Amino acid sequence: MRTWYFSEMAYHPAWEKGLERGSLRVNFPSENLDPREAGMLLNRYLDEFALCDEVGLDIMVNEHHSTATCMTVSVPMALSIIARETKKARLLSLGNPIANRPDPVRVAEEMAWLDCLSGGRIEIGLVKGAPYEIAPANSNPGRLMRRYWEAHDLVIKALTTSTGPFSWEGEFYQYRAVNIWPRPIQQPTPPIWMTGMSVDTGIAAAERGHVVGTLLSGGLAKPMYEAYRKRARELGWEAGPDRMAYAALIGVGHTREEGMRRAHQIADYVRTSPVVAEPFTNPPGYNSIGANVAMLRAGPRAHRMITDRNGVPIDHRTATVEQFMDTETVFAGTPDDVFNQLKAFNQRMGGVGHLLFFGQGGHLSHQDAKENISLFGKEVAPRLLELGVPEQAAAE
Amino acid sequence: MSRHVTVSGVSLEIEEQGQGRPILFLHPGEGLQANRPWMDALARNHRVIAPVHPGFGGSALPDWVGTVDDLAYLYLDLAQQLGLEGAVLAGNCFGGWIAAEMAVRNTARFAGLLLAAPLGIKVGGVLERDITDMHAIGRSEFMRLAWADPSKGEIDYTKLPDTELAGIARGREALCVFGWKPYMHNPRLKRWLHRIDVPTHLIWGEQDGIVSTAYGEAWKAEIPGATMETVPQAGHYPHWEQPEGFAARVLAFTDRI
Repeated sequence: MRTWYFSEMAYHPAWEKGLERGSLRVNFPSENLDPREAGMLLNRYLDEFALCDEVGLDIMVNEHHSTATCMTVSVPMALSIIARETKKARLLSLGNPIANRPDPVRVAEEMAWLDCLSGGRIEIGLVKGAPYEIAPANSNPGRLMRRYWEAHDLVIKALTTSTGPFSWEGEFYQYRAVNIWPRPIQQPTPPIWMTGMSVDTGIAAAERGHVVGTLLSGGLAKPMYEAYRKRARELGWEAGPDRMAYAALIGVGHTREEGMRRAHQIADYVRTSPVVAEPFTNPPGYNSIGANVAMLRAGPRAHRMITDRNGVPIDHRTATVEQFMDTETVFAGTPDDVFNQLKAFNQRMGGVGHLLFFGQGGHLSHQDAKENISLFGKEVAPRLLELGVPEQAAAE
Repeated sequence: MSRHVTVSGVSLEIEEQGQGRPILFLHPGEGLQANRPWMDALARNHRVIAPVHPGFGGSALPDWVGTVDDLAYLYLDLAQQLGLEGAVLAGNCFGGWIAAEMAVRNTARFAGLLLAAPLGIKVGGVLERDITDMHAIGRSEFMRLAWADPSKGEIDYTKLPDTELAGIARGREALCVFGWKPYMHNPRLKRWLHRIDVPTHLIWGEQDGIVSTAYGEAWKAEIPGATMETVPQAGHYPHWEQPEGFAARVLAFTDRI
């Protein structure tokens, strides 16, 4: 299991006001942000990313828009700084919200440029994006996945074509001369990742051999991984743990109390980030017809995103670290505790090759974040590298 | 009674009721809702033909259909296929937009155009919103703006069968496919409204919080000879909220054309 550190570069000083208004995203005005404080925090977060290289961790960056939960507005912008400040870490863009990008060729250009800059360290996530990203991008939620797949195919075609230009006359995108310069070092493309929370995503990723990642819910992850492995087998290949990724909040400390305290502070991110005004949570078309039928049948109720290991929903706004640990949203404690929890998780999931280590939620101090990263990098990550396919899964 | 017809390769669910001068009625973004009393009221004096838009309810949405232009040509083909003569082309909300797009193209089969609170044109400046962003407000706020009396409009979705819920969910997505960007309008349509060469009447709910009566006046100014009247105690769906008053106004219009 490889470890990829990430943080959303939160603007936590505005969270309380956002919670009072019932929305931290889309319609939460930016007058609630002090630009100088934002700049200070961005520099601090980038220092935390840079530290990862020194302690042997890989790095992941994502982006969101119009939100106090994440100031990263552009993955390539953040990664280009990080690429210059690191030497060894692999750099994962997870990802490029391609269904919300008017220009997929630009995405291919940026990723190829980063691959050159970093000496071939880039991995490329092509993601659908969260429902509340639809409004800031003003992208059409109708036929979203059709647009996603066309963008996906175009990005890959652009990355793999060195004898261009070629033309593209599709349903959503039209180009007359695609010919990206530079082209990527890694051939035929840097590794491609997808994200999702459903069996369908597992199947779609398996059909293309992409890495599939999910977040914060072991209950949802397992059926997706199983669908991936089953579909790969049907197609004549064996999907190893290196095709599966999982994002979790992690607090590690020299003592169990210290690790739990850090996890508690990082978990404020999960307690806060899904708080968004109702109309932006489910734009029509974003979710399947089946999921929308279920929502209409259930009637109006609080938005919930997490279920525990038995499928029981928990209230993410008030959950304790212990509750989050039950849902496999959080791993916490001493390095031994965290290693043992992750080893058991790897066993339950049938082998997960990539851990996306959410190690800074906003409220964690710079000092705590640095210690969290260092301790994990030195004392947990090397042992995780030894974890492979769990015996039981291998025998299946 | 509901039936399916295939028009230009698209399978459409159609409700039809009554005798008299035909009305081709194009439903709003919220769906056809044929079980509300509006259809009975209209059908007392007219043959009401009401297709369910592609992607809504039981109508198909083939991959190649994706714009209001497509819907306009599709329904012109439907009018031809049904052999309509001297019919009234009517539409409310999103359906009014489609009706206007049809009327700027070809009015050969229609004797009049009746638009009830149509969406579809851009009137104000770049920072002015002519049409309420129905996708940026919660459901209760939407109901408050769209109805004079929201309690009349409430639907208990938890009591509907799954097939009907699926039709509603499909329709909500289809409305986005057709109208997300630019939001519920065609920036070029206003400039072509002068082509409408049949008597046109605009009906507006006085409490419409989705598109204002001032927006209705802008429509009236662009369509040669258009008339307009408002309906008290009605919001964005005057045919649902005041079915008798709506039917009476439609009859008065059809009597004079």
